This record gives sequence, structure tokens and C-alpha cells, in this order.
Amino acid sequence: MNVFDAIVLALRQVWAQKLKSFFTLLGVIVGVTFLISVIAVVEGMNRYVQEDFAGSIFGINTITIERIYSRRGGREDDRTRRRQARNPDIQVADAELLRQKVPDIWYMAQSNDRFMPEVRSGQNKRNNVRLIGVTDEYFALQGWDIVEGRGLTRIDDLRAIRTAVIGDAIAKKLYPDDSPIGRDIRLGPFRYRVVGVLERQGGLIGNIRDASVVIPWGAYQADFARERDVVENIQIKFRTSEAMAAGQAAAEEILRARHRLRPGQENDFDIETASEILNAWNTIKNVLLAAGPGLVAVALVVGGIVIMNIMLMSVLERTREIGVRKALGARRLDITRQFLAESATLSCVGATVGMVVGILLARLVDMLTPLPATVPIWSIVLGVALGLLVGLVFGVYPAVRAARLEPIVALRYE
Amino acid sequence: MIKPPDNAVILTQELRKDYELGAETVHARQGVDIQIDQNDFVAIMGPSGSGKSTLLNLIGCLDTPTAGQYWLSGQEVSQLDDNELARIRNQRIGFIFQTFNLLPRTTELHNVELPLIYAGVSAKERHARAKETLDAVGLADRMHHHPNELSGGERQRVAIARALVNKPSLVLADEPTGNLDSHTSQEIMDILVKLHENGETILLVTHERDIAAYSDRLITLRDGKVETDERHEIGEPIA
Repeated sequence: MNVFDAIVLALRQVWAQKLKSFFTLLGVIVGVTFLISVIAVVEGMNRYVQEDFAGSIFGINTITIERIYSRRGGREDDRTRRRQARNPDIQVADAELLRQKVPDIWYMAQSNDRFMPEVRSGQNKRNNVRLIGVTDEYFALQGWDIVEGRGLTRIDDLRAIRTAVIGDAIAKKLYPDDSPIGRDIRLGPFRYRVVGVLERQGGLIGNIRDASVVIPWGAYQADFARERDVVENIQIKFRTSEAMAAGQAAAEEILRARHRLRPGQENDFDIETASEILNAWNTIKNVLLAAGPGLVAVALVVGGIVIMNIMLMSVLERTREIGVRKALGARRLDITRQFLAESATLSCVGATVGMVVGILLARLVDMLTPLPATVPIWSIVLGVALGLLVGLVFGVYPAVRAARLEPIVALRYE
Repeated sequence: MIKPPDNAVILTQELRKDYELGAETVHARQGVDIQIDQNDFVAIMGPSGSGKSTLLNLIGCLDTPTAGQYWLSGQEVSQLDDNELARIRNQRIGFIFQTFNLLPRTTELHNVELPLIYAGVSAKERHARAKETLDAVGLADRMHHHPNELSGGERQRVAIARALVNKPSLVLADEPTGNLDSHTSQEIMDILVKLHENGETILLVTHERDIAAYSDRLITLRDGKVETDERHEIGEPIA
């Protein structure tokens, strides 16, 4: 009797007792569901953090320099907070020095931003907008594409021309029917001419870009700056991570010298890179991925024991059947194979159900929460392989017991 | 060493099976010596405990003897291992049971196919042979029914088809009519008689004299040994 016949027999058996099969398989179903959905969410978050989050906020091979502000509600004690309050602002002159001295700069941009309660165009308005004043390389540095019109130029910046590039959400809100290019928007008391529209970002943090109005640095300084010549944020992008490391060290040295910090004294400014965020995330991910297998293993072992139990009962219930099969010429190997194939098929059916539920769950998470979740193929393969393994391992004992039955004893069994 | 005659399907010598009953071992005092030839239709009778079922199980290679020798179609089988016995049961012996022993939840056709599955016959040939055999017992039109949809007589006919599908050299029937009414019993016995006419060797265990009357040779057992062994005409009433 070949394995295919055994599998067909097993499927027949599963199908003949659907409800019993379902309860038998619950453990395996839960285990595989958990495995697939957790991997999907962790993988999804991983991709999100690496590609979207870290990439869009900090950028790849990019350093971000900011003044350290004292934050209320932070973990710092009062002394630290008072010291932070005395930290010097970063000046435009600092940025210029950095541009001259830091080696191998690819792009460099400075930006200040503020919250705007609304932006208007005629009767249309959009609330809660982020207004950013930037130097011209900002778009290239951020990797923000312009889908319509143009970006901001050095001329816009130097002459403080009131031009604006607006995010997708704002464009749709203010000009639902036609192109915003060449039209005027009102930012507070000022009129700005729209010259470009940013590519839609979407997703969890999309509204940062999609609800932004970007204007030239000079115009921002003239119309919105709280203090002149203060830079809130400097970003420098390098071509390689080695160049970034060297650039980071150089920038740190330059600023420490400018701020007259003594050796051993802490930085009074922040230099951040995406890799720090990624490191933090990797720690979280490793914890999740380490805890996951434990839980999955528990579910699968419980599932396996239930399958073993059910298979033992099945062997007992079908003692007579085994006797008949042996009388008709089934060898020990045939019987072993039949019951092994049955338990493996059983747990594979469970794994398949778990896989489907897991994928649906991942889809649901993807649709209903901002968390992206994608099911990698390897997790499906792993899930089904584990199901098969559980069925085989926990099926051995019942199958061997069935095979060892004496035909005459089995036939007489009532 | 005995060499069995060519026409002997079964030859046993002092074939014996001891039983453990609780702590005590029950020894059969003497073994069974019988010879059953090609195309014999043998009925075995005897009071309960006389060992007729045990003998049938030993002959059917379902059980292994404590002592003695047994040749099936010239091959010594009393010392064979599990797998070899399974092969012999599969290829040479067809079983018919009192309780039919069909697998529930599967079709008639699948039940009949079982011996062919274990013989490693391809699916296509299996189907063809099973259908053919079901046709021979008059059930070809119902082959996709499950056993619980059939009457007792029909079930036993399916079981007969299953016993015959591998073209065995010996058919063993253990009280084949024990669970059937007299009319159906007669139908079943008619099938066995026809098989015998077609050259089949049949061994039948029964405790009913009218059933034993269908055979052409009667062996009675008592206390684990042969008491009488006589030939008679088929249909001749047994005293």
C-alpha cells in the first residue's frame, strides 16, 4: 500500500468525523495561526521601521543635528532639565561652518517647522498643518518626490520668495477638482504661490508629509521665525555609512569646539542617526521573535499530545478494523504507515486551517490597524512543516501500537 | 521431514495451540492432523471449546501454532514471520466472517479493493477487478453504497467478493450464516456451492447441520483433536 493511498484513507477519516477532527486539531490550528500572524506582524513592523519610519524620519546614512530641549514629562531629573534649558541654540552660522568643514557631504539641508492651525484657499481650508521652512536640498535629502510642478530652488530661498510645495492631502482638500499649481494659498496673513505637489506617502506616518506645506527657508525666516538665524534641525546625508560615521565624528567635533565644551563634558546638542532607531527596534524585535517560538512550541506540543491521544483512541476504536486489515494482508508497515499518514494528514489539515486563519488575521491587522503586516512565504512553509512534524512525531506511538496488534486478538475485539 | 502431496492445499501435523487461561496454561493433549485437497468443500463442526475456531485461525495464518507443522499449498508456514504471514493471508487466503467485518464509512467498492491495495495493485486495475468480483456476487449496481445501507445478505456478499478478489487458493468461512436468516443463509450457501463447482477449495466452520450439509466432507472436532472425518454427497442430510 503506498503512501498516497494512506493519505486518501486519512482524509476520508478526517472528513467522516469533521467535528471531532476540528477539536483534535485545535492545538495545531492555534499554534500555526499564532506563528503565522506573529511573524506577519513582526515582519511587517520590521519592514515598516526599516524602510518607512527610519528612512523617512531620519533617512539612510543621514545624521540629524538638533539642540537638546528640556522636555516636560521626560525621565530627566530637575537638574538635568535646568541644564538642558541653558543649552545654546544652533545658529545658521553653525550650519554654514558644518557645510564647509564636514567631509563628503552628499546633501545638506536645514529646516524649521511649526504647527499651523489652518491653510486656506478661497472657501476651502485644511486644518492642522505642518509648515516647514527648508533650504533647497531638503527634498533630495528626504527623498520626497514632486508629482506636479517643481520643488523649491536656491533662488526661492535666497530671495525669500513666497512659494510653497504642498502635501497630497492639502492639495486634495484645497483644490479637489483642479490643479493647485500657480494658485495662491493663505498661511496666516500671508499669500504663498503653490509651485509643486509632493508625492503621496500614505500609511501610518503619511500625514506628516501629506499634511505639510513646505516653503523656502528665507520666506520662513521673514514671515514665521520666532528667532532669527536659529536652526532647529540640520540634516546631512552621506553616500555611504562609512562616510556618515566620519561625518558624524567631524560634525560633533566642530560643534563641541563652537560650544566650547571641555573634554569629558557632555554634548549639549543631539546628533542622531537612523541606526540608533534601528538598534532600538532590533532589540524589541528580538524579544518578540524569541518569545514567539516558545509560545508556538507550547501550542504545538499541546496540539501534538491531543493528536496522540485521539490517535490512541482511534486505534482502540478501530482495533477490529486493524484486525480485518491484517486478515486481508496488511503488514505492520502498512498499518504503521496508515496511522502515521493519518496523524500527519490530520495535523497538516490543522496547520492549513491555522495558516488560513493566520493569514486572515494578518490581513485584518493590516486593514484595521496602522500596523503593516505581511505574511512571508517562509512562515507559511515553516507552519506547514511544523504541522507535519507534530503529526509525525506524536503519531509514532499510536501507529506502532496499532501495528503491533495480533490479528487474532484485534479481530476478536468487541 | 514430510513432503506434502501435490494436491494437498492444507496439510497439518500435530498442529497444536496452547492457551493461557489466567495463570494456567491449557494444553491440547494431541495435535490436529488433517489433509485437505484441492477443491474440497469441508465443513468443520464440534461443540464450543472443541477448537474449531482456533484451527481455522491457524489455517488462516491469523494465529501461530505452539507446536506442530502446517503446509499451505506445499509451503511450510508454521514458522514464518509476521510479514510473510501477512503476504500469505493476502495472496492465498480469502476470509469470510460471521459478522462480515466490512469497514464502515467506506464504500462497498473500497472494501472489496482492500486486499488489492495491500497486494500493491494499481488503482486502475484494482477498480476493474473489484467491480468484476462484485458483479460475480450480483452487487455491481450498488458498489458505491456504504455497508450500513445494505442488508445482512448483501453485506455478506460484499465480504465474499472481498475474499475472492485476490483469487485465493483457499476460502475460509467462519460461521458465514451465523448472523443471517434462513432464506439469506441459503443464498449465501448457494454462492459457496457455486464457488466450489468452479474449483475453489473451501473450509467452513459451522454449528448448524443444515449448513454443514452443503459441504462434501465433514470434520468434527472434540477437545482439540479430530473426532470424525467423513466424505458425503453435497446436500445429503447429516445425522
